[in-house]
Amino acid sequence: MGKVIVVTSGKGGVGKSTSTANLGTALALLNQRVVVVDADIGLRNLDVIMGLESRVVYTSMDVIEGTCDLDKALVKDRRTKDLHLLAASQKNNKNDIQPEQMKKICLELKEEYDYVLVDSPAGIEQGFRNAAAGADVAIIVTTPEVASVRDADRIIGLLMNMEIDDMGLIINRLAPKMVESGDMMNPDDIIDILSINFIGVVPEDKEIVISTNRGLPTTYNHQSSAGQAYRRIARRIDGEDIPIPEFKPGSWLGNLFKFNSFK
Amino acid sequence: MLKQLVRLLRRNQKSKDVAKSRLQLILVQDRIGIDEQLMQALQTDMTALLSRYFELEQDGIEMEMQREGQSMALVANIPVSSLKIRRPLQA
Ligand SMILES: Nc1ncnc2c1ncn2[C@@H]1O[C@H](COP(=O)(O)OP(=O)(O)OP(=O)(O)O)[C@@H](O)[C@H]1O
Ligand SMILES: [Mg+2]
Repeated sequence: MGKVIVVTSGKGGVGKSTSTANLGTALALLNQRVVVVDADIGLRNLDVIMGLESRVVYTSMDVIEGTCDLDKALVKDRRTKDLHLLAASQKNNKNDIQPEQMKKICLELKEEYDYVLVDSPAGIEQGFRNAAAGADVAIIVTTPEVASVRDADRIIGLLMNMEIDDMGLIINRLAPKMVESGDMMNPDDIIDILSINFIGVVPEDKEIVISTNRGLPTTYNHQSSAGQAYRRIARRIDGEDIPIPEFKPGSWLGNLFKFNSFK
Repeated sequence: MLKQLVRLLRRNQKSKDVAKSRLQLILVQDRIGIDEQLMQALQTDMTALLSRYFELEQDGIEMEMQREGQSMALVANIPVSSLKIRRPLQA
């Protein structure tokens, strides 16, 4: 039996879809069987980030409506084996799906796969509720900005109400130089405020844009700092006890944190 | 005066520290769900209660949540003009 992980944030545009695509790819590269599910009905993105848009025939909507079997709706990745995508319908909207229907799909998927990563839409409404409905674990993505952390706090509260207590925080788009000059909150600041299990930092990296242009997740790029970060986070999710790296000597991160909750 | 001083100190603070303290304040308010309406209702109730004991200068009343170090404080400034002595208190 696998795990369903919802990737969510509250605030829009902080890197949920990027994180879902990269972590899904990185987990598959660790020889795990993975499905990434786009739950952003009406505004689908994940297919494009993964470079699979031309292969999408069916969506989760077709599965719910019974026009297609779940197996048949999954799109196989081009490069990595055991990596699949369940796309979102572009012509429907978030209220056309009920949490129970999404949950059923997730339960069915985790019978067959090790990890089911669900890319949540922004917001705290039904789209988020659908995405989180079947989740065992939540990954909360935030950037080191006031508004984003505030929304993350709101989402953490909602997830707790939904009894999804296993949560991990990813801080995305960290700019080490700005942290150094005191113009960006560092991970310690954010963890201090949110008091939640911390699973990693992804630096600001223009390779993210380049790789999204190409439809190849940054995870494949061993030169990219963001790609390296995602590969490490994936190993941590998969239960390896590896420290979060420091961005520069003598900096704030250190090996202070232990990451056991995802085991 | 004090507010000006705080503002002056803030200007020299690193922007990430300003961000952090603003966030801490925002989150306490978010988490307790203290909004304007609630503060207004609180102020009305408080002044009603205090009016039983004091003559208050209604215009000068200020009430807000403030962060003091790591915790929040309800800071009220309620100018009193006189004490209402020997006024029988109703239960
Ligand atoms: N670490 C990073 N470095 C540079 N750019 C990034 C990084 N992470 C994300 N981005 C960029 O930020 C934008 C938003 O990312 P993404 O689409 O993953 O966010 P999202 O949270 O899924 O957004 P939405 O709420 O709209 O679904 C994209 O253009 C992406 O390329
Ligand atoms: Mg997205």
